[in-house]
Amino acid sequence: MICLGIESTAHTFGCSLVDSSGKVLSDSRDAYKAPEGSGIHPREASRHHIEVCSDIFLNSLSSAGLSMKDVDIIGYSMGPGLGPCLRVGAVVARTLAGFHKKPLVPVNHALGHIELGSMLTGASDPLVLLVSGGHTMMLVFSQRRWRVFGETLDITIGQLLDQFGRAMGFASPCGGKIESLAGQSSGKYTQLPYVVKGNDVSFSGLLTAAKHSAASNRLEDVCYSLQETSFAMLAEAIERALSFTGRKEMLIVGGVSANRRLSQMLESACERHNCKFFSCPIKFAGDNGAQIAWTAMQDYQSSGKSVLVKDATVRQSWRLDLVDVGWRG
Amino acid sequence: MQRSLIRRGAEADIFAVDWHGKKAVSKIRLPKQYRHPDLDLAVRRQRTVHEASLMSAAKAAGVVTPFMYFVDPLNCEILMEFVGGPNARDVLTAGLCKKMGSYSAMLHAKNIIHGDLTTSNFVVSNQLVLLDFGLSYYSQRIEDVAVDVRLIKEAFTSAHVSLKDSFESFLAGYLEVAGEKQTARVVEKVREIEQRGRYARVV
Repeated sequence: MICLGIESTAHTFGCSLVDSSGKVLSDSRDAYKAPEGSGIHPREASRHHIEVCSDIFLNSLSSAGLSMKDVDIIGYSMGPGLGPCLRVGAVVARTLAGFHKKPLVPVNHALGHIELGSMLTGASDPLVLLVSGGHTMMLVFSQRRWRVFGETLDITIGQLLDQFGRAMGFASPCGGKIESLAGQSSGKYTQLPYVVKGNDVSFSGLLTAAKHSAASNRLEDVCYSLQETSFAMLAEAIERALSFTGRKEMLIVGGVSANRRLSQMLESACERHNCKFFSCPIKFAGDNGAQIAWTAMQDYQSSGKSVLVKDATVRQSWRLDLVDVGWRG
Repeated sequence: MQRSLIRRGAEADIFAVDWHGKKAVSKIRLPKQYRHPDLDLAVRRQRTVHEASLMSAAKAAGVVTPFMYFVDPLNCEILMEFVGGPNARDVLTAGLCKKMGSYSAMLHAKNIIHGDLTTSNFVVSNQLVLLDFGLSYYSQRIEDVAVDVRLIKEAFTSAHVSLKDSFESFLAGYLEVAGEKQTARVVEKVREIEQRGRYARVV
């Protein structure tokens, strides 16, 4: 069985073919690039998606050497995400499903990150840290759902990095630029607000303080302090969740998992709790079609459920802990 | 001093020690390798001192907490009474949930925010004992009170899905101490915070 996955929640439009063993047969994508100093404009991003969608789709077929005849089901990301962007993916999905008469399976984008990450790394029952522009959540699976153990109370770690970067005049996404600047720092640490509330974290005060700090300190040192503070908060929250749940595996997924310093800190935190650390391969850390295809595949194989073309809408706000996951024990 | 590890917590290690012939507990915050040394020391020291003072304040508020023997801010260590008994997380009942509610309301009445209200921070001895004031602070803001309550609600709905109405029992206990008006304010604020959460259903 082969599934076509269509991803379009934010800056990335991606199509990918995955087979039922989890082999990624193709992975085509293109990301909207925001002008320097500004973020993703939903309308501009959706316009980008419209422009690239047919090329990306055709490329996902040709690079796998397959045609639509070989595709058995179509998965698309229904949400959460930016409305105009999601709608492009949904239109593509509805069109293909209607024309080629294939079952259509809606997928929660965040669940896609977790499912692909655990399949690629082989983590079986991990504590998951989902870190991206849209999410900062710690989750464990229990009784058919991913349960939230802790999350951000305001902005996400991705937003913290992006909004700080944008204030400094970088182009979104800014995580990579901040990481490389931090690497050039002399290691001078300026105290920034460290806010852990129980299992939850809060980054909004840290964002404001970091922007202020940039006025009187070297940018490299501020980037360094920003990373040190925010990642240590996450590492501590993870330690709390590990010690509470007693999980022996930890998996990090989502765009920010590409940051090496964060991985390094989490690895050290896991070591203290004799916990195995898994990180989603960098290639699949960011948004991609494969996460949608693989999740749709598992959903369809376990439930046999699909939606009618007329019901294949989008859900901009769709919390992960409201999704029933029938295929996990 | 002879000591044996009881529990490796998230931010501190708990050792069983002998304190002048008494069985005692040493809670020590050891440095974390992954944290920048300056940040690490500031966080550890501040939490140790806060924890000690807020634990005494909680006792004055009527909540059962371990007796403190000695505080060492330089080593980030607190020596306290050993409390035997199972962790409430493992033996949770509706009755315990209710008692947790009363304790929380007593703290909040004295403007103490526990900061880490989870079921695993309660020990069931001959009384219910509340532990770990490492993240505690003073606040009168209803927002902070509600964040406290929301945290234990999160624990009930994630780790204790099978125990029905655990949060309702908690609220019943809270109401007994705080009264109807205050409880309603807190519940409303908790709802507001959840609505603010990411991708919360916008009704």
